[in-house]
Order: sequence, then structure tokens, then C-alpha cells
Amino acid sequence: MRSSPKQTFRRLGRVATAAALALAGAHAQQKPSMTIWYGDRPKDYEVAKLGPTSVPSPAYAFKSKRVLPVTAPPIEDGVVLTRNGKILAIGRAADVAIPEGFTVVDLGDRWCVPGFVDLHCHIASEGFDINDTVHQTNPEMRTLDLVTMEHEQLKLALAGGVTTVNYIPGSGSNMGGFGTLTKTWGRTPEEALVRFPGCLKIAQAGNPERSSGDLGLTPMGMNEGLRATLTRGRDYHLAWEAWKAGKGDKPQFEAGLEYLRGLFRHEYPVCVHTQIYQVVLQTVRELRHEMGLWTVIVHGTFDAYRLSEFVADSGVPIAGGPRQYHFDRGGGAGAGSGAESAFRGVLAGWYGGGMHGWRSTQRGLGRDGIGVNTDSPVVPQQELSVQAAMAVRLGLADDVGILALTINPARFIGADDRVGSLEVGKDADLVFWSGDPIDPRSHVELTVVNGNHAYRRDPRHPRY
Amino acid sequence: MNLALPIGVALAVATITADLSAQRFQGRRRPPREEGGAAPVADAPKAERKVSSWTAITGGDVHIGDGNVLRGATILIGDDRIEKVGHDIEIPEKATRIDAAGKVVAPGFCVVRMQGVAAGGGSEVRDDLNPFDPSIKMALAAGITSFLWQSGGGSNTPAGKSAIVKLAWGDLPSMVKEENTVVSMRVPLDASSMANLRKLVRQARDHLDKVREFEGKADAKPEDRPKPPQGVDDLLAVMQGRKKLWISAGSGGGGGFGGMMARPSGGFAQKEVRQALEVAELVGQGVVLDVPVEAWVVPDEVAATGSMAIVMPRLVVSSDPGRPDDTGSNIAQAAILDAAGVPISVTVPTGGYGGGATVGTGGILGRDLHTPFVDAAFAVRGGYPSRKALRILTLDAARISGAERRVGSIEAGKDADILILDGDPLNYKTFVQSALVNGKVVYRKDEEPFYRHIQR
Repeated sequence: MRSSPKQTFRRLGRVATAAALALAGAHAQQKPSMTIWYGDRPKDYEVAKLGPTSVPSPAYAFKSKRVLPVTAPPIEDGVVLTRNGKILAIGRAADVAIPEGFTVVDLGDRWCVPGFVDLHCHIASEGFDINDTVHQTNPEMRTLDLVTMEHEQLKLALAGGVTTVNYIPGSGSNMGGFGTLTKTWGRTPEEALVRFPGCLKIAQAGNPERSSGDLGLTPMGMNEGLRATLTRGRDYHLAWEAWKAGKGDKPQFEAGLEYLRGLFRHEYPVCVHTQIYQVVLQTVRELRHEMGLWTVIVHGTFDAYRLSEFVADSGVPIAGGPRQYHFDRGGGAGAGSGAESAFRGVLAGWYGGGMHGWRSTQRGLGRDGIGVNTDSPVVPQQELSVQAAMAVRLGLADDVGILALTINPARFIGADDRVGSLEVGKDADLVFWSGDPIDPRSHVELTVVNGNHAYRRDPRHPRY
Repeated sequence: MNLALPIGVALAVATITADLSAQRFQGRRRPPREEGGAAPVADAPKAERKVSSWTAITGGDVHIGDGNVLRGATILIGDDRIEKVGHDIEIPEKATRIDAAGKVVAPGFCVVRMQGVAAGGGSEVRDDLNPFDPSIKMALAAGITSFLWQSGGGSNTPAGKSAIVKLAWGDLPSMVKEENTVVSMRVPLDASSMANLRKLVRQARDHLDKVREFEGKADAKPEDRPKPPQGVDDLLAVMQGRKKLWISAGSGGGGGFGGMMARPSGGFAQKEVRQALEVAELVGQGVVLDVPVEAWVVPDEVAATGSMAIVMPRLVVSSDPGRPDDTGSNIAQAAILDAAGVPISVTVPTGGYGGGATVGTGGILGRDLHTPFVDAAFAVRGGYPSRKALRILTLDAARISGAERRVGSIEAGKDADILILDGDPLNYKTFVQSALVNGKVVYRKDEEPFYRHIQR
């Protein structure tokens, strides 16, 4: 099933185009509430390595009471046809003929939901968090070689309906290295791979202040370190572009800068753990505007929702979690309790801007700019859906909860040609829930990844 | 099971004649309750008690606490206690009326474990109460109206102090009305500790025999009443059913990060569960298994001793790959124990991030006591019947805390600890609209800053 990277890219390009058309159809009636800034994303990747376009899987017809494609209206009494890792057809059981040779898997009154996508995960290898802070910034580090499909937490992830994770270095390093976008199930890590690099991981003030000399002990030093390294990466990228255009000598290959080249080619984004108002302001200013990087905020907590208008205008989306609230001590007058403070829903603030946040006229990121993440194992990988439940509890619009678990993060990371919704041509990552997947009372009955049964619940001893 | 506890307060308390626990859940076949709230706990007080103020909560869908719901019922509260529950209740003219039409009414949640709210960690709860602790309001916002405070205990024999702390905001004298309903100890016991416990139980039995003999004598003189041997007071109380014995075993999860690396060894595995049940047989009373990992492997043995359990549904302890039998944690533990007839309550995950059993402002929402319903929800996720899951946080929690005489259900004679909610108490979108403790409204969502900005 192996194909050369070039073939892979071309095939994937075709799938992406088909998916984009399908999405456009589904969304024709709904104007995007924000536009994510991807830069000039190339059609052919030079640095990034993509996973296989086709994975062996039997021909199945999954039937269930309710199908939530997410990018299209719910289907009652639906059927999804899958083979070789892809969705071949989706629709009402009455409308979709099941071809000969397809095994019917009847899930009864379960809900069929796309597998969830978590952009901030640390647990795909042994251990729980990975920081190798050998330099102040570490663009030569990568998680690709660490992915362990047998990891206990990945198995739990399947029982929580999580099928795609962005497995990134820890936030103890300012620039921790490059993350891997991977499925949570696969016969091999190569089969599970969606894309490497998934992103560059940067962690801003609020975590990396660890003793490694004086520089980097405050945000000033960290900003300087990031800027210096990114500038080297950009120069390296520009040297290659110049050589390709016939201007200048062939640059010397530098392993430590190669992935930064892909970053500046906009093949993948920088995912930034950034959460405090001033720090998010600096993140967007420096990375998105000065460096011109496709930028995604992850691990969004605390009070930065007050910047939602600026961030929305910059085309930067946010995956929020794991805390989900900001304890706002300026919350208003109490009733004599001595407590004057409110539990502000962080994602409600980002979503609705002034409706939930700071100034009443401020715009938010709307339904298309909001995702959730776990920071697993801080929140266990299998509890991604609980993060959405808590965001909705604190004021995020009901219908955004499911988007924040599926298509939105898939778009943020640029993997929506493969995952995040149930559409023909996309990966067959289907999760069958006993009910509303955001309600913690619901359980996962069956998880299908790349068309293969990855988890089936044993009622006497469910995994989660 | 429900032996009367010493009544420390001079209330004309109704005779508690029936035990809700005796009425195992009967599902839909259960006959409808009779008019008047049909509280099996108490016939309305025989002697008219003097009530200075009446409150009536009307029109709500009243979740009694045992899994049943009375639609559009009235709760009549006389001062700090529930007088009547049901339909067609005559409301005294001067009663304060609280309209709960379209709302859900439920017993206040009783949590079996909470730290850092209202009471410190000192050795005497009464010396350590703060009725104006702001976190009381946060706990009330989460639906918690009482919790079991504990100090000491956890050694090789039953010991420790405890109290049911009511979150009676601003009302210090009403915060503790029930003390020392629970003592605790720890397993595993090594051979000499077990021998010591057997010896103490034997001494306590001998003492009880002597008391019985003494009480049987017609001409017994009070001064000849046998004195209990030293150091067995708590054990005697447990054996007589006056105190519940909680048994824990090391740390439930073990290790950091939510116990994700832990193995059953050193935790509350099957071996430790069996020893706890051995203690139950020794003392002749059911015990409370405090966060067992592997009680699900032996549910019938737990049920046979009349024991109960506090379950941490989200605990993850890997199965032991070196053993052929069932090991490790199981999210279905609550459901499996329930199916065997074992009452359970739940507690939040500990050991990693999240804040644990408290309502601080530094935790992770969904993993601390700001949302106690999430762990009940996870019991349901593991198969616990959804319809009666509220019991986990109310009636069964109260029984596990030895407080079911006062709290845990909406029934005549019990403390008026009541929540008015805007929906299903176990739904993630539901908020407490107001909370009453001891008949007084102590929390209103619209008047407190925490959640009033959230409007649906």
C-alpha cells in the first residue's frame, strides 16, 4: 500500500479538492463566522510527510439510528459505507443501496459521530510529557519517532471517541520541537500517521520559565529567543526558495532548520500554548503578523478571550482547555458573600466576544474559530468530550460543542481533507455513541479508525 | 442497617419507622406513592411541633432522592425541616411561597468527601468552622448542601472523628448537628494487626455480653453497670451499628497523573477488598469501601456483608498483564455493585491535576466539586441506571455518611436541604437556581456573581 510521497501528495490533493467542494456545498447556506489565515499553503509539500491515502479495511455498511456528519444536517436512520479506510457513501438507509460484499454492522439506536480531533496531546509515547530543553529553542526536536500505538492512553482515547491527536512536545520548553498528527489506532505508526510535522510547538509565558540561565526567564527573553530562531529559519527557507527560482547558490542542508522551512512554506502551522492576555497579544503579533506564520492557539485558558476581536481579525483560531474557566475577580457585586468573582467560560468569551467577554461591542471568533483540547494527560485523553461539555456549560453555544471536537480543530491543523466530519472521500473514522456525545453519561459502543474496528465496548469491563 | 443514631438534638423528631434502604429500587413496578409525599421515613410528627415560619415550594418536579419523581408537587417546610411532600397539601396562609413551576426540585447533594470548604482540617470541627467562607457559596452553586468532614482515623483499628457539615451560610450553630457518624481504618492489615483487631473485637463482644447480662438482672444496681474496656469505644459503636466504618487502602490511584501509570499492587485491589469484607464479618456490620479498585470483581461478596462503596468512576488502574483473572479499575464498577444490591456514592478523580474534592479556583472544570454530577454521570456511562442515578449524590451518599436520618432525600422529617434547578440535575447544562439549607435560601444564582452571567 506504500506510495511515493509525490504520489501521495497528488492523490491527497484530489481528495482535498473533492472534500472542499463537498464542504462548500454543505456550508453554502452558512457564511463562515471567521476566516482562518493559512498563508499561501502549497499544493505540493516539500518538507511535510503525509500518511497513507489508503489503509486496508473491509467493506462495511454501518447502520445507526442517527448519523451526525457535522458539516451537513443530521441523518435519521442512516448508513455509512466504508472500504479501504475511506467513506464511500453516506445517507439515509432508504436511499443508500448496500452493494454486495459489504458486511452490515447494525448499531441500532446509537449515534454515529466523526472521531474527535485533539490538537494538544502529550501522551502517544511512554511517559507523559516531553521536554528536551537542550537549547533555549529546540527546532531540531520531533515527536515522530516516539509514537507508540500500544500506548495505554491511546487505547483509552478510542473509548472516549478520540481518533486523531496532535502529539506535541511539552510546554516546559519555549520552542519544544515538532509535533506529529496521528490517528490513535493503527497497525503501525506509519499507517496511523496523518501528517508530520503536525505543527511546530511553541509554549509561551506561563510554563517554560525554568532555570536554564538568565535568558528566557521572562517573556522578554523568550520572545527574543523565538524571534532569533525563527529568523534563522526564515532566512534558510528564503535561501531555498531563491535557489529554486534560479537565484543564488544551493543552500547547505541543515537538519535543525529543515522543518522551520516547511513552517515558512505554510505546509503546517505553529501551535502555540498561550493563554494570558499580554502573551496572546505578543504571540499573534510576533508569530502571525511579524513572521507571517499560519498560527493556531492551543491550550487557551485564562483571560485572553478579551482579545477575541484582534485574534479573529488575524485569522487565528483557538483550541481551548483544559481549564475552561477564567476566575474573573472583577466580576461584579456579590450578595454579601465577600466573593465578587465570576466563572467566565473561556470559550464562551472567545466565541461571543463582547457577549461573554470584555467590551460589549467586541466581536468573537464565532462558531468556526473554536476548538477544545485536553492537554492530556492533564485531562485524560478520553475526556476530550467533557471539555466540550464544560465549555457549553459556561456559555458556549450548544451547537458549537460538537464542531469544537471535530471539524473545527481539523481545519485549524489543515487536516479537514481527511478528518473532522463524515463525508464521502474522507477517512472512515466513525464513533458510535449511546447518545449525545457531549453528555458524560453517554458511552462509546464502537470506534472505527481508517475503516477498521479499533475499540468495541465490553459492557462488563468497558475501557472508559 | 439503619439503626437509630443517638439523637443529640432536642427535636421532636418523627420516629423513623421505615428504611428507604429496605425498599430496594423496584423500577417501574413500584406502586405510586401515597398522597402527602408518602415519605416512608416519617409519619407527620405526632405531636404538633411549634413552627415559627412556613415555606412552601410549589409546582416543581420533585426528585425525592431515591430515583422517583413527583411531578408538580408541593414541599411544605416548617422552619428547618420538611413537614410534608406531595400533592393537595394545605399551605398555611403565612407561608413564604417559592414558585418552582417548570423547574426541577432535588435534595441537596451530600458529598462523601470535600476539603477546604467551611471547615478546616483541625481535630475539632466546631472549633474550625467558618460560616462566611466564600467557598461555601461556590459549593452551594454546585448543589452541595452538606458533606462529611473527617479527621484522624485511617489506622489499623476503627478511629477518627467526623461530622456532617451543613453549608448553612452565615448560621454557625446550624452547621453541625450530627457528629461522629463515621470512623475509619485502613487495609491491608498484617497478621499481627489482624490478630489485634480480633482480640479487640473479642473484648468488645465480652463487654456486650456482660451488659446484656446486667440489663437482664431485675436487681441490677446502676453503679454495677459494666465499664467498656479501654480503647474499644469506636469499635463498639461500629459493632452496634451506631457508626459506619469506612475502610480505605493506600492510595486509590497511586502515583501522579491520575494514576495513569499505576498497577493494582498497593491499591485497593481484590485482596484488600476481601480483607475489608473480612473486617465487616468480624464486626458483624456492613462497612463502607472507600474507593476500591477491584470491588467489581467480587460484587456478591460485598453485597453479602451489607457493605456499601464510594466509587471513583474515572479512576484508571491498568489490568495486571501478568494475571489471568480480572484486575484493574473498571468504569462499570458502580453499575456492577449496584446490580448486586450495593449502594454506592462517587468521588472525584484525585492524584493528578484537577483540584480534587474541593471547589477551588485553580482546578480544571469537570474534574472537581464544582460539578459533582460529572462523576455520577460517569457511573451512568459505566452502566449505572440513569433513572435513579441521583441517588448517588443524595440518598446513598447520606447513608454512606451515616446521615440518612437528616439529609439525602425530600421526605417529611428531614432537614430542608433542597435545590431548585433549571433542568435534569445530572445534565451538564443544568445550573442550581437556588439552594436551601435548613429551610433557608442560602444561594441564588441571580444574586451571586459566579454564574449569573450565564443565561440560556
